[in-house]
Amino acid sequence: MRYAILLMGAPYSDQASHSALRFARALLARGHRLETVFFYHDGVYNAARLAAPPQDEPHLVDGWAALHAEHGVTLQVCIAAALRRGLLDEREASRHGKSGHSVEAPFELTGLGQLVDVGLSCDRLVTFGP
Amino acid sequence: MKLHIVNRAPDAGRAVEQALSAMAAEDRLLLIEDGVQGALPSLVDEFASIEGRLYALHEDLEARGLMNRHDERVEVVDVEGFVTLTEQAERTLSWY
Repeated sequence: MRYAILLMGAPYSDQASHSALRFARALLARGHRLETVFFYHDGVYNAARLAAPPQDEPHLVDGWAALHAEHGVTLQVCIAAALRRGLLDEREASRHGKSGHSVEAPFELTGLGQLVDVGLSCDRLVTFGP
Repeated sequence: MKLHIVNRAPDAGRAVEQALSAMAAEDRLLLIEDGVQGALPSLVDEFASIEGRLYALHEDLEARGLMNRHDERVEVVDVEGFVTLTEQAERTLSWY
């Protein structure tokens, strides 16, 4: 089956990100396809390029990136939720006159319309809330 | 059949109440994260109306030291069982 995950919890604030990553790995292990993880609300902090958690804790940002590298999962970040929280890729940073950027590939800033598309095109959409 | 996923304990907010009121006769309910507290014998009566359709996530019970303390009317599934429940349901709804 084709799955998508909607993640709305901030990393390290509540369990949502860890639950979502664990579920993602489990469904891939069962042979399903995970098309997209969509990061929305405080979930966008999962895309923070500069995240530097202690080395003995799970690195969520790297965990998502590994899903992209190993399974081709697209990592879509709601652009409206991201920009107002200071999460900008190089293009948006330049457009807003900022000197650095905080989001990089494989995360991509996209619109909420993409979430609607994902919901319509995938067999299952599972939400992890804060 | 829909799968409802709840990550709040019965005494924390209205997630459990809202999920139960939204459930159709065949729907199932999975307790995850702090929601697994609902599997304790002292709280499980909240779910009397859906007996036989109540599940709790093994990993989250274990992380809270609650394995073997849950009520026997709750079916415990691991994360692979969580995936299976989503396969069997036509869609999932999360309450938080």
